[in-house]
Amino acid sequence: MSGFPLESRAILGSTLVHPTVPLISVGLGTCGIGNGASDLFEALKKAVDGSGIQIKKAGCFGFCAEEPLVMLYYPEKPILLFTQVQAKDAKRLVKALESPAALDRAAKSARGKISTWDFRTLRVEFGSAWPEVPQWNEIPFFSGQEKFILRDCGLIDPENIDEYLGIGGYGALFKALSTMKSQDIIDEITQAGLRGRGGAGFPTGIKWNLLKNNQGERKYLICNADEGDPGAYMNRNEIESDPHMLIEGMLLGAYATGADHGFIYVRAEYPLAVERLKIAIDQARKAGLLGDRILGYPFSFDLELVCGAGAFVCGEETALIASAEGKAGRPMPRPPFPAQKGYLGYPTDINNVETWCNVPVIVSRGAQYFRTIGTEKSPGTKVFSLVGKVKNTGLVELPLGTPLNSILYGMGEGTGSRKRIRAVQTGGPSGGCIPDFQFQTAVDYESLTALGAIMGSGGMVVMDQDNCMVDVAKYFLSFTASESCGKCAPCREGTSQMLRILNDITTGKASMKDLEELEQLAYTVKDSSLCALGQTAANPVLTTLKYFRSEYEKHIVEKRCTAGVCESLFEALCENSCPLHMNIPGYLALLSEDRIEDAYELTLRDNPLPGTMGRICHFHCQMRCRRDSIDEPVAQGEIHRYLADTMAKLGRDSAIWNRLAQEKKSDTGKRIAIVGAGPAGLAAAFYLVRLGHQVEVYESHPKAGGILRYGIPAYRLPKDILDHELGLWKRLGVQFKFNWRLGKDGTLDSLKSQYDAVILALGAQGDRKLGVPGEDLPGVHPGYEWLEAFAQGKIKKVGNRSLVIGGGNVAIDTARTLFRLGSEVTVAYRRTRADMGANSQELSGAEDEGIRFEYMIQPEEIIGGPKGVTGVRFRVMKAGGIDESGRPKPVPTDRVMEIPCDDVFVAVGEKVQSEMIAQGGYKVERDGRIVTDHLTGRIQGNLYAIGDAVTGPATAAEAMGLGKSVARSVDQALMSRSVFTDLYIPYDYPKEIPLEPSTHPMGRPKLVPPEERRGNFQEIALGFSGEQAKIEAERCLRCDVRPNAMSPWR
Amino acid sequence: MNTTVSVTIDHTSVEVPSGTTILKACEQAGITIPTLCHLEGVCSNASCGVCVVEIQGAKSLVRSCVQGVAPNMNILTHSQRVMSARKTAVELLLANHPADCQSCSRNGTCELQDMAELLGIRERRFPRTRAPALPDLSGWGIVRDNDKCILCGRCVAVCREMQTVSAIDFTGRGIRTKVAPFMNYPLAESPCVSCGQCTLVCPTGALTERDETDEVFKLLYDPDKVVVVQTAPAIRASIGEALGMESGALVTGKMVAALRRLGFKYVFDTQFTADLTIMEEGSELIQRLTTGGKLPMITSCSPGWINFIETFYPQLTDHLSTCKSPQQMFGAVAKSYWAEKMGIDPAKIVVVSIMPCTAKKFEAKRPEMRSAWQWWNEKGRALEPLYDVDVALTTRELARMIRRVGIDFERLPLENFDDPLGKSTGAATIFANTGGVMEAAVRTAYELVTGKPLENLELTALRGYEYIKTATLDLNGTSLNVAVAHTLKNARVILDQIAAGNSPYAFVEIMTCPGGCVGGGGQPLGPSQSKIEQRQASIYQEDRNLPIRKSHENPDIQALYGEFLGKPLGHLSHQLLHTVYKRKEKVET
Repeated sequence: MSGFPLESRAILGSTLVHPTVPLISVGLGTCGIGNGASDLFEALKKAVDGSGIQIKKAGCFGFCAEEPLVMLYYPEKPILLFTQVQAKDAKRLVKALESPAALDRAAKSARGKISTWDFRTLRVEFGSAWPEVPQWNEIPFFSGQEKFILRDCGLIDPENIDEYLGIGGYGALFKALSTMKSQDIIDEITQAGLRGRGGAGFPTGIKWNLLKNNQGERKYLICNADEGDPGAYMNRNEIESDPHMLIEGMLLGAYATGADHGFIYVRAEYPLAVERLKIAIDQARKAGLLGDRILGYPFSFDLELVCGAGAFVCGEETALIASAEGKAGRPMPRPPFPAQKGYLGYPTDINNVETWCNVPVIVSRGAQYFRTIGTEKSPGTKVFSLVGKVKNTGLVELPLGTPLNSILYGMGEGTGSRKRIRAVQTGGPSGGCIPDFQFQTAVDYESLTALGAIMGSGGMVVMDQDNCMVDVAKYFLSFTASESCGKCAPCREGTSQMLRILNDITTGKASMKDLEELEQLAYTVKDSSLCALGQTAANPVLTTLKYFRSEYEKHIVEKRCTAGVCESLFEALCENSCPLHMNIPGYLALLSEDRIEDAYELTLRDNPLPGTMGRICHFHCQMRCRRDSIDEPVAQGEIHRYLADTMAKLGRDSAIWNRLAQEKKSDTGKRIAIVGAGPAGLAAAFYLVRLGHQVEVYESHPKAGGILRYGIPAYRLPKDILDHELGLWKRLGVQFKFNWRLGKDGTLDSLKSQYDAVILALGAQGDRKLGVPGEDLPGVHPGYEWLEAFAQGKIKKVGNRSLVIGGGNVAIDTARTLFRLGSEVTVAYRRTRADMGANSQELSGAEDEGIRFEYMIQPEEIIGGPKGVTGVRFRVMKAGGIDESGRPKPVPTDRVMEIPCDDVFVAVGEKVQSEMIAQGGYKVERDGRIVTDHLTGRIQGNLYAIGDAVTGPATAAEAMGLGKSVARSVDQALMSRSVFTDLYIPYDYPKEIPLEPSTHPMGRPKLVPPEERRGNFQEIALGFSGEQAKIEAERCLRCDVRPNAMSPWR
Repeated sequence: MNTTVSVTIDHTSVEVPSGTTILKACEQAGITIPTLCHLEGVCSNASCGVCVVEIQGAKSLVRSCVQGVAPNMNILTHSQRVMSARKTAVELLLANHPADCQSCSRNGTCELQDMAELLGIRERRFPRTRAPALPDLSGWGIVRDNDKCILCGRCVAVCREMQTVSAIDFTGRGIRTKVAPFMNYPLAESPCVSCGQCTLVCPTGALTERDETDEVFKLLYDPDKVVVVQTAPAIRASIGEALGMESGALVTGKMVAALRRLGFKYVFDTQFTADLTIMEEGSELIQRLTTGGKLPMITSCSPGWINFIETFYPQLTDHLSTCKSPQQMFGAVAKSYWAEKMGIDPAKIVVVSIMPCTAKKFEAKRPEMRSAWQWWNEKGRALEPLYDVDVALTTRELARMIRRVGIDFERLPLENFDDPLGKSTGAATIFANTGGVMEAAVRTAYELVTGKPLENLELTALRGYEYIKTATLDLNGTSLNVAVAHTLKNARVILDQIAAGNSPYAFVEIMTCPGGCVGGGGQPLGPSQSKIEQRQASIYQEDRNLPIRKSHENPDIQALYGEFLGKPLGHLSHQLLHTVYKRKEKVET
């Protein structure tokens, strides 16, 4: 840049960015400091003292989840990036820079390296080394990112103007002043297609032209840095890490539009941004970059800071202007637009921080270059703050047009747990909630708007299955309602009424009419509010209503919050997670008082198979147990097994069964047929018969129990336990018709005409196929079908070498059964052990028994001939990026392997066999699931469906839960009454929170040793002793002890 | 630029001047768009959301009150979307508005009530989401009931723009937003001057005059009391309007008849003491002019104005004439001179005044306004403390009383005021208009100074609606610069000149309200300049009708001086008719 007056300082600056001595730089943005970067910086300063190693403050590199970040630079070598560095690591890091050899050793623990860096105004080669260390943009979080706005962040010292000059900063200004006319700049911006990054996406060039063409004694430029949405902090970091980029952008805007005054309206809650801006403005002024005759050219512009007190509405431009003028921040009607009459009545242009930051590079490299990034309609990049239930939180900058999937699973790497991402909220409280089935959407202005969300300033809040979408809408609306300036009636009153309805929904007080009202209000508030705050306030409600309406309905009709967030709708998280809504704290408390009989009876009223389920349940309750945050969950399931076993042993359970039989409601005269005697059908029968209906259960097998009997091997669930518990149904008077097949022994139509209601509980027993050659060979067995055949005594012998393909419970059950039959068993799974669907106890049990596991292999062909199978050829897989299930996606490698075997058991999932239902003219999903009304379970008329046939393969508890809730709705439909709660009786048990949590670890039942398991099917788990059960019960933290604890079931 | 644009309103093409708002364009096209916050010339806050219309191609509905027309705009004023939004906006406002229409003083005159009716609202669809608020009863003139406030912003606009008082503003955010004085102080502790302009523009019962009609009825029914009434000059040109007659209907005789039928024992006229004011004030001006007193001298009849200068320009109160207002002079004279003359126990006399003004209620309760009581005390007659004026009613309250007892106002005969406090001149009548006090004073001062009769009584230079009017009068060779201003925004202009030391005037008249007392805060609701101008015209008509048009020619005034006061600015005048204005203090309520 010949003639650049600040060239000598730029040269000095470039040696600071790319020095000839070793350098340590520490990311000192707000998030880094919050994670201890200041202490680290001090420790490093002490450690480098006298060593000749330079140390500097830098801005933030964006990887918030891994703060503090440190970069080590040794001349002629790549920069090494270290994450999660603490003050105690200081000496080690300094030592690493003492010699190239030390650095080579340190490189092994580096997270990544930077060999070259494109500052957009200058490209720097740092050096090359360490092929085993990934380049920074090979780290998943940075992969796919495009650092355009954040190009300098984390690499330069934001408090030293020389470094900004050193990487080519203010070069665009010099270029503009020395070679361009003001209109040239506007033309360049217009051609670049730059759109407002505040969220609305208005073309910046048009805005600037308006200001340029408006005459005024003065003209103002304003930078809107009033970033107020919860979860958004990109503007803060842009200022904190690279303030001169913003100043240069505004200078270029001033030159282009003829503005002579400007200010940055920044919220006072950003003290570090304010401080760094002050320093930057001061340095720019001293360097002749602000004030009169900038760089010696006839161009003057001065810049000030205005601190806002942090009202969200002040992000709206007319409110911002009012606030800057010293008035209350209330929007004014437009027109007049700020370009006509803005700050103090003068023509004014307002742009967002990020919009300004784009300008220097566009001027420096040209519009065409800018257009190579992003899409046709939305060129360039956008910075998002990725927060919430995502593993890699931080700032991501991506080319517009990047699909959400790549952001959430690629850069974010999913939730970081087994939980699934349900939705993402873009644009903060003014934005919308995008559901997982829309994650293929490309992020740009138009497509987000089409979904009902907005780009907004760039907040991206990720939500998983533990987030209640009604609560999410309520949260955002409570924000906008309280941040509404209160001026216009639709926004002030409308948001307040919407919030009232949402409060009612989340506390179980709303009706379906309220839901209609909510929706209508949302549209009115959107349509007739004065400013953008009100016009967008309803978006979170409208989008959640659009995509998660059933969740609203569940809250209203079932008074149920599945995610376990709306506290007024459940007793405790365990109770809420239990598909049967067992009053778990209740029976734990009763057991603590030695009231075993009461505890059993309470359990039985919620779950008629306590002994069975206590053995085989998935224990949904434990997944949300709060005790887990101290050590491990309470073993609630073991306890109800203990209660059932004890009562059975004492022979006292039948007295309670009799009591239930005696209190049956008087005969309603209604007859109900249930097809299927699995867990779902049994649960429905249990409740319906107690409600006074005559219940007949049709079952194709010779005995009741379904999967409990025919799918689950006896070493997990001894059949005498099941047989004993089924005695309850007989006692209640449920009639069973066994060996009866739908279609063969009777039709749906005949059942429908004979009974007042017909409930299908068909299960999901169809084995899925692999779809590879050789699947039809003899010796290839569908997993579930084989287990069922075995349970019925149809299997006598197995081969010596068995290969089970799959990772779910059926796979493990098959493997462990084969092991007991004497076969040598291998399980092959295409993902890793951590990604397996099977219960972890079952998995480790199988491992204990010596079953072999092969991971990351996918079958390609089953090998063999007419005589049978000889082996299976597998493709070896490797882990790719995180997929939508939140697990690393298996990606094929070029390697294959073969496993020899005599039998292959394919257990890769089950499906619903509903062909007959579909033929009857009823709607089924593509995978066979029967379509029902999600609130009542009704298919049509008097026909209902429950269990796996509706949900697809699920747990026995989930099947029973659906059976229970549909029993309630069938009774309501037949009798026009609501008496379900009569089936419960209140128990008086202590409602006290333990003063100190019990110090006992989670109790574990005694197990039969693995060496004693081969060749027999005796039960492995021996259950709790009485003492163990009591100690375990006392581990409960009693989350149910609170005033609003209520279960809709009791 | 006198161009026009062509727009389509409800499928009909209309030509309107460019720059017209959609609301006005619709009006031209024969469509009335309802609004609750918009008030021409007062407030364009765009807050209520009722005036929305649909514009083809626009993302959301637009507010017709502020949005200008654009060429080829296609406007729909009553599409389903529009009507639903309008209705919902009003239903939302009703949610947090008390359902007490029957007991509200604005029952029948409430714009919210009318709007609910207009939009066919038949149920209260939404429940309350805001905690009920208690009324602020601290101000003597004005009662604020935030519970009824719909936050339209008209009062805030009028207080800030017209009066530059800003006693009230929006506070809080979201549903907690309210209109309140600084730091939620009670109105009495705010800079509020009690002018009552806010009560004229308030669409609901959130801002009203303190209703004292029940108090007056009680006094009228009390056999131990002698209740006398005085009526301000402006009332005769507005009470008819308040009772349903045309704007500005001049009904002096019927008004007297109605008051007599209501049971007032003596019906007097504040105009009598307006004449007295001219005698005192004219003399004071001459005294200041001749003895080097503080100039300019500023009139002191308008109590809102007095509150304003005491609050905002306390250093300039020396410029005020020390004369009490005619209302207070009347009370003092009635309970001293007249009581003695009639031989009535002053403790039994109740003075009720009918005023166009809410600030008069406040003025009557100023602690120093007890001169008659002090006068009796000095005479050795110990009395319980009594105010010179007991109750000041507004035009609106009087109209309510007349309606309540069932008087058919329009069929009343014309009756005359009682003597001696009922006789007045045309000079006193024009006190009701901006410029009137000045004109009346000049009629007398000219003759007192020059000794010559004034040929042209009507000072047209000081008439009309213009906010600041100035004139140079020739008083026997000396020229006298005078100025007249109405509304407090314009008072500020005059005061700032005085404060800066470059005021060219010797005599200034200031009235608080637009157009003078005819536009007072106690006048009929629904203010508009044209209504005020009609009232002004009637007042000038009354002036021309009266046989005597100069205060000093009023024979009963002459008798008052002869029998009782002696001379203007004499000892008794000072005791009964003059006062000292000082920094505003909190009043006992």
